[in-house]
Parts: sequence; structure tokens; C-alpha cells
Amino acid sequence: MNCSKAHKVISPYIDGELPEQDMKALEDHIKVCSNCRAAFEEGKELHNLFTYTEEFKAPYGFNTRVITNITSEKIRGFSRFPVFVRLAEAAVIIVVIALGALTGSLAIKGNAPDKARDIMASLSLDVFNSAPPESLGGVYLAMTEAGNEK
Amino acid sequence: MFDNSDESSIIDRFKKGEKAAFEEFVLKYQDRIYNLCRHMLGNTSDAEDAAQDTFIKAYQKLKDFRPEASLYTWLYRIAVNTCLDYKKRPFFESLFKRGDEDEEDIPEAVSEAPSPEKLYESKQLGLALARSLGKLSLKLRTVIILKEIEGLSYEEIADILEVSTGTVKSRISRARDELKKYFQKIMEQN
Repeated sequence: MNCSKAHKVISPYIDGELPEQDMKALEDHIKVCSNCRAAFEEGKELHNLFTYTEEFKAPYGFNTRVITNITSEKIRGFSRFPVFVRLAEAAVIIVVIALGALTGSLAIKGNAPDKARDIMASLSLDVFNSAPPESLGGVYLAMTEAGNEK
Repeated sequence: MFDNSDESSIIDRFKKGEKAAFEEFVLKYQDRIYNLCRHMLGNTSDAEDAAQDTFIKAYQKLKDFRPEASLYTWLYRIAVNTCLDYKKRPFFESLFKRGDEDEEDIPEAVSEAPSPEKLYESKQLGLALARSLGKLSLKLRTVIILKEIEGLSYEEIADILEVSTGTVKSRISRARDELKKYFQKIMEQN
């Protein structure tokens, strides 16, 4: 094994990912090559440094928050529909409203003048009689009109 | 690394609509996923958000999970991609959600040494290593974390990152070379 090849296999050797025969070849090489031996030792030191890294645990209540978030995602499900689905829904609503308006106009077509008169009559203030005949005012008005006739 | 029969039982029960199965799934993997996100992103707040997002995505995709694949490598893939998305987010978003390299919470170094001198030394080494990791590119940081911290094999890393084992091998080698340089520089400054 030469130095260039040795440098390439130091990392997989440290990770235990090197075939046995290459392991043996590297071990033989570093016995006789001080530069590669130094590189090998440095690699191993770096690998050992990872024992100083902290192992983090999920914070308290993490799993509860995940389940809560999933539930709220489900509630907000509508907004997750694709845009074309939401547009199709809006189009259906518009078509239903338009059909309703069209059907209504066809239903009153033909007797529209009568309907219009009825509507105007119902809205007119004439329906309110200021002095109905049975009331005191109505009797007074009747007497006044009778007097005038005389 | 994980019991396959447990994995397939969880998936079967989830597909049958058993809610408790997913809760079990979260409990089983939450520490590993959080640990990965914490090392990838370097701060607590982003790590929790990314880990939460990972499980939400997993919930949405679990029904389509193929039983012939490995559940934990599938979950790791989602977690790694989520972390990479967090790192690539636009600057204005990172103003509201911390994620800048310079703002990373440097983890507390773990030490088994009893004496104060040893404790101090271990802490310094852990801090220097965490800073060196933060200086690596995302690609190199990902492979070295999956290898050295998560203890995955080259094949598992290749599966997670969807690259060849040869690519994993060369990236790990490069990551170690760069890490060594950064580490030495930081130790010299100290």
C-alpha cells in the first residue's frame, strides 16, 4: 500500500468499514511510514473527541406537543387542500347561486306586472288609514262630509 | 439498530387506525430525532421545531410507507431534509426563528472525568468540537453527524441521503480533514 491509498482508507478503517485485507495492508503500512502513522493517530483522536459531545433528549412534553400539532393540522385541513380544489368549490357555489337567481326570474316571468303591483301595494303607505270608519275620527269625518252635503 | 418486528407492528396498527400506535412511534424515536436536529441546527428552538415537523410529516406519509424499507432510515431521511430546509430558509425567516450559525447554542460538553481539571478540559474539547462542526458545510456536517453521533453505517447513511456508499465514504473523509483543521485552529485561539 502506498501513502496516497493509505490516506484514502484511514477514515473507513476508523469507521470499521474497510475489508479485512485492506485493514491488514494499512496496519502494515503505518508500521513503516511515520507520516501515515501520524495521520492515522490524528484521525483516531478526532474520532474519540466525539465522546465529548452531548446526547440531547427531547424536551419534556415533546410527544404531547406533536400529537396536539397533528390534531390542529387536521382541523386546519381545509386550507391544506390544493388551490384547484378550493377554486372548484368556489365555482360550484357561484353556479348554484346563479341557477337559483335564474329559476326565480323564470318563475315570476309572465305575471310580472301583477306581482309588481302587489309588491308596490304592500309597500305603500296607503294601507294605513288615518281615520278608520268605526273610529271617533271616522265618525267626525262622516258627519262633516254630511254637513257639507247639506 | 432497531427491532424490525416492533417497526412493522407499529405500522400495521397505525394503518388499522389505532391512534396509540403513532404515539408509541413518537416516544420510540423522539430522542434520536431531537438529538439529530439539535446537532444539525445547533440551537434548541430550531431543533424542537424541526423535530416536531419531522413527526408531522411522518404522520402524513406513514400510510404510504413501504414495509420493505427501514422505518428509522425513512424517518431519518425526513428529519435530515427538514433540517436542511431550516438551514436554507430565507434570511428574513431566520430573523424570526433563530438558525444563524453565529447564534448557535454551543452544547454543554459531556464529561465522565471526576476532577475539576479533567472536567474543564473535557468541556473545552466538547465546545471546540461543536464550534468546528458548525463551520462545516451542510453536506459534510450531515454525514459526520450521522456517522459519529448517530453511529450509522455507510450503507444506512447512503440510504438516508439517497447517494452511493462511495459518496458517503469520500464525504466523511473530507469532513474529517476539514474538521481537523477547524478544530486545531480553534484550540490554538484558546
